[in-house]
Parts: sequence; structure tokens; C-alpha cells
Amino acid sequence: MGTRILTVEDDERIRQAVTMALEEEGWDVIEAGTGEAALDSFTDAPADVVLIDIMLPGIDGFEVCRSIRRASDVPIIMVTARSDTHDVVAGLEAGADDYLTKPFAPKELSARIRAMLRRARNAEPGDMQRIKVGELEISPEEGMVKKNDEELHLTKTEFKLLVELASQPGKVFSREVLLERVWGYDYFGDGRLVDVHVRRLRTKVEDDPASPRYVVTSRGLGYKLQP
Amino acid sequence: MARRRWWQGLLARVTISYALGSLLLSSIVAFAAFTIAQNRLLSEEQQQAVAQFRLNGLQVRSDLEAASPNATNEELGDGYRDLVETKVRRGNGASPLLVVTGFEPVGQVQLTTIPDELQGRLLTDPIALMRYRGAADDGGEMQLVLGLFLEDLDAKYYEVLSLGGLESTLTDLRRILIAVAAVASLAGAALGYYSARRALAPVTRVSNAARAIAAGDFKTRLDLQVDPELDVLSSSFNEMVDALRIRMERDERFTSDVSHELRSPLMTLTASVEVLERRKASLPDVAQRAVDFLREDLTRFEHLVEDLLEISRVDAGAVQLHLSTFALAEFLVNVIAQSRSPEIELNHPNRDRRLAVTADKRRLAQVVTNLIDNAMKYGGGATGISFRRIGDCVQIVVEDRGPGVAVDDRKRIFDRFSRAGTDAGRRGTDTGVGLGLSLVAEHIRLHGGRVWVTDRVDGKDGARFVVELPVGEHEDDDVEMAV
Repeated sequence: MGTRILTVEDDERIRQAVTMALEEEGWDVIEAGTGEAALDSFTDAPADVVLIDIMLPGIDGFEVCRSIRRASDVPIIMVTARSDTHDVVAGLEAGADDYLTKPFAPKELSARIRAMLRRARNAEPGDMQRIKVGELEISPEEGMVKKNDEELHLTKTEFKLLVELASQPGKVFSREVLLERVWGYDYFGDGRLVDVHVRRLRTKVEDDPASPRYVVTSRGLGYKLQP
Repeated sequence: MARRRWWQGLLARVTISYALGSLLLSSIVAFAAFTIAQNRLLSEEQQQAVAQFRLNGLQVRSDLEAASPNATNEELGDGYRDLVETKVRRGNGASPLLVVTGFEPVGQVQLTTIPDELQGRLLTDPIALMRYRGAADDGGEMQLVLGLFLEDLDAKYYEVLSLGGLESTLTDLRRILIAVAAVASLAGAALGYYSARRALAPVTRVSNAARAIAAGDFKTRLDLQVDPELDVLSSSFNEMVDALRIRMERDERFTSDVSHELRSPLMTLTASVEVLERRKASLPDVAQRAVDFLREDLTRFEHLVEDLLEISRVDAGAVQLHLSTFALAEFLVNVIAQSRSPEIELNHPNRDRRLAVTADKRRLAQVVTNLIDNAMKYGGGATGISFRRIGDCVQIVVEDRGPGVAVDDRKRIFDRFSRAGTDAGRRGTDTGVGLGLSLVAEHIRLHGGRVWVTDRVDGKDGARFVVELPVGEHEDDDVEMAV
């Protein structure tokens, strides 16, 4: 069985066309026309990647995203109408890992999915040693983070972000570098992806997310992991 | 439209009218006051002079009548001298002159100073008086001269009275009145300015409100009950703003709705065309060409919808810049690499190699991309892109090798759906869309910068598009190069 993509889209023609194009790219596609159908489907058989249109009748895309995120760390891609509204940030806050704006090229979507799965399989930092920073203990091989010997539940994207920062503690990583290494974007990735994920990461690893001890902002430059 | 001069403003006109009005009024009052005072003083002086002259006249008559018929001419002459020098009263400082036929005139003035006109008048009237201005070597003062003709005694008696004192009083009075008139005019001007300001205050409020609305603040309203007469203006103004706002919102929503509605079929089309492209090899030749057409125009259609949406966002004033600080050289290298002409060369002074700017990356990328596309469409492709820092700004320059832009078109090409040199612009198959440069202008305006086009400075044919942006607030050498 191949990689399964759950596509949540209420417009039937779009759903069918996207499904057709994704199947051409070699993915297995499960379709859902409503948020309820999507949640039922995911409960029955969790997909490997979820693609959610924000504008859905009934349960909206944000809520679907939050529900799935509560149950799973599966990669989620939001589809938004436009990139400069608060929809993007709201979608990311709801737990999405990445976003696309309509109309997107299914080829681009495939590239994003591949980038996410590569990240989820945790292939790149495979040769990394266990890293200890303060109370944090990061095991890249096992995909696990412990704080005071207690395991933290990070999504795959959050984990990848933390590992990237931990690869050189104290070094400042620009948003561009993080976008490239964590999300697989070229130079023109959206810096808000990094900002929102850093914020979410802090709620999990910091004692007080408002005044972070580990994931520190370097004004105008980017982020670093404080050794 | 001709430029308006400062004095054409309402405030200036009201102020000037007030000043002129008060100048006219105070001048009339001053002139009247002066004339009345002058007549009054003169007639008083004259009455006194006449009264004294009459008394002296009687004295002269009685003395001449009393003269002994047997007296010698010498005795008579002495008597006349005695009369003039001691007997006549000179309480007002008048100078007497007695002329008896057959004798030398006696007195303190020469007979020549007595105007001929007065002497002539004495031929018909026994007593006469007149004013005249004395010769300049006598001080040029105003004189009053009185004459009496004693026909039976063959004698004439004159008195000459200087009015110099009176004249200088009048001169002082005139100066004072002129000063008062001047002060009154200034006060009038000040009053005019003040009252015009007060009267214009509602107009100022309306114009401030209009300016706020022009700047996009459609919540601006004029307060009613400031002045019942102005409420009519205020309420129609408010109605106009409401109508305008509703209409603009409808237009914005329309553009936005249309663009959104277009996205759905575009999504289906994009996905379907992609499937076709993947299977292109198995299609007949003619169908392959059809797929190519579809692909190209679909891309153009997508860009058009994107540009329309972008413009409608700008129009709605709903644009929020996502500012970040980045190295410009690296940014431009990436923009060029992703453009349709990735071979374009980037030039910049060595000192600016690490120049950082604070801007909205996505929008600035769109600006440069649109300029590159524009150069491809109308300028035979961009020949080079350069940037350099000038003070607090950075200039990004895109040059092409096309025919350039006619001077008349240099502003117009940044308007929507307008193209440089309408004839030249429509040649070829790629008709493009006329939103690219207007988006450039809008984005740059949002960044607080400017964009313009000139001829190339190296003398070759071609257009030179210059984008000038403020560098933005950040510390220098603050930006790490992304690896």
C-alpha cells in the first residue's frame, strides 16, 4: 500500500481533479467532502498526510485540523484562499505544518508532501548524536525529546525544527535557512511558518513560553537554541 | 490648471477686503475731522483778527481825522509812524502797514507783500481780507491779510497776520489722523483675518474630513449641530461619504468575489492540465500543441487573477506588509534565478554587497519579477539589474534594450491596463496584461518608495526603470547570509 493522502475539499469538481492529478503522481488518495466525513475517515484509517481546505461547510478546516492534531502528529497541509490573510497564521496555529494557496499545482503539492514525509521519516539527521541542552535531552535517532526524563510530544515538524536548531547550539539560524532545511523551501518560503512553529515549540519545551530559556529569538536575524 | 496665487484664497481675500474697507472708512473720518478742525480754527483766528482790525481801523480813522490841517508833512509823517508803532493794538501779533497818499508807507511790512488782488478788491469794498501763501524766502507760511480803504482820507491801512502756528498745528493733526487711519486699517485687517478664520473654520473641518476620507478613513463624519446653517452642508457631506463607502465596498467585494469565484475553476483546470501534461507523450501532435496552448494561457490567467486580487486588496486598503530584514544582493540573485530570464546579470558597488533592507519580501520579489517580465515583453529583455545605496534609500535599476518609453507615457505606463507606446506594445503574440507595472507602483508606494522610468544613462536605446526604497530601520551588517 502506498502513501495515503486524505483530501478534504467540498467542491466536488476540484476534489476529483486534484485526486486525479495526485493519483497520477503516484499517491493513494482518500476523498472527503465535509469536515465530518474527514474526521470519520481519519478515525477509521489514519492517512499519512492530510490536505484540508479551510473553507468547508459545517465543521470548518481549522476545527478539522485541531481535531486531527489532538489525535495524531500526521503532517497537515492547509489550503487557503490567499496568503496574506490571517487564515494562514490561524491555520498554522490550529496545527497545520504547511499551507498552499489556491490554485496550486498538484506537482507543487507533491513536492511539499515528499518534503514532509522525508522529514517525518527523520532521514537527514540520521547520524546525529544525542544532544543535551539544559533539562532537554534530544535523541534524533529515536525521534524523541525528554525534559527532566519526561517525554515531550512534538509534531514531526516541531521535532525537526528543534533538531535543526540543536545541531549547532548557540548558532543563529535565519528563517530562510530553517525554511530550507525543515520545510524544503527555496529562498521564497513564508517566514511565518517558522515563527508560528517556534511559538508552538516553545509552549512545549519552555517553562515560561513568554520568556523563553531554550529557543531564543535573535532580533532581525532568526532563532537559536541557547546552550 | 493655472496655479492659484496666495491672494486668491478666501481667507486672504476677506482679510484684504476688511483692510481696504477700514482704510476707506478711517480715511473718510480722518479727512472730515481734519476739514472741520481746519475750518473751525481758521474762522476763529480770522474772527479775532477781524475784530482787532476793526478797532485798529477806527483808531486810524480817528487819528487821521484829528490831524491838524496846519501840520507839516514831517509832523504828519511822525504822527503816522507814532500811530502805527504805538497806538494800534497788536495782541495777535499782526503786522500793521499804513499807506497815506503822498507819504512813504509806514509799518512793519513792505507794501509789495500785500497781494495785488486784495488791493484791487479795496477799490470796490471798503474792507477786505484774504489768505495767501507768503514767498518762500519768508518761510512760505500762510498769511492772513486785511485791508481798509479810507477813501475820504486818501489812506489805506493793512494788517498782515502769520498763520504759521495754526498751520503747524494742522500739520500735526494731519499726521495724527493718518497714523490713526493706518492703525485702523491694520486693526481692520486683523479683524478680517480673525473673522474669516472663524467663518472658514467649518470649511477647514470639511476639508480635513475630505482629506481623511481620501486617505481611506471612511469612518470620518462631520458633526452636526455645530451651526444650523452648516448642518445642511455637513449632512449632505456625510450622505456623500456613506454613498461613496457603500459603492466602494461593493466594488471591492465584487473584485474580490470574482477573483475567488475564478479560483475554483482555475484549480480544476490546473489539476486537469497537469494530468494532460503528464500524459502528453501519448497524445497526437495536434493535441500536444493544444495542451501547450492550454498550459501557457492557464498560467497567464492565473497571474491575471492573482494581480486582480492583489490590486483589489490594495484598493481595499487591506494590505498588511510582512516586513523582514534581508540581504538585498542575495534576494535579487534568487529573484533573477526564478524569473523568466535567469541569465540577467546583477551589479552593485562592492561596498553595498552586504546591504540589508527591510521590506515585504514577497511583494518586492513581485516588483522585480514584474519589471523583468515588462522588459521581456516590451524591451527585448532586461540587459541588467543593479542596485546601490543612496543615503537612506536604495535604488534598484532594471534596464532593457527596447525602444524606451516616450516622455508622454512615462507616468501613464504605471496606470492600470495601459501599456507603453500603444502600437509598439501590441506587437507580437504576447499581449500580456496591463497590471504588472501598476502593481509595481502600488507595492513601492506601500513601502514608502518611488518608481519611475527614464532613458538609459549610457546613451544606448532602452528604458531604465528605477525603484527607490527606504532602506528601513535596522542595524547595518545585521543580516546573515542564508547559506
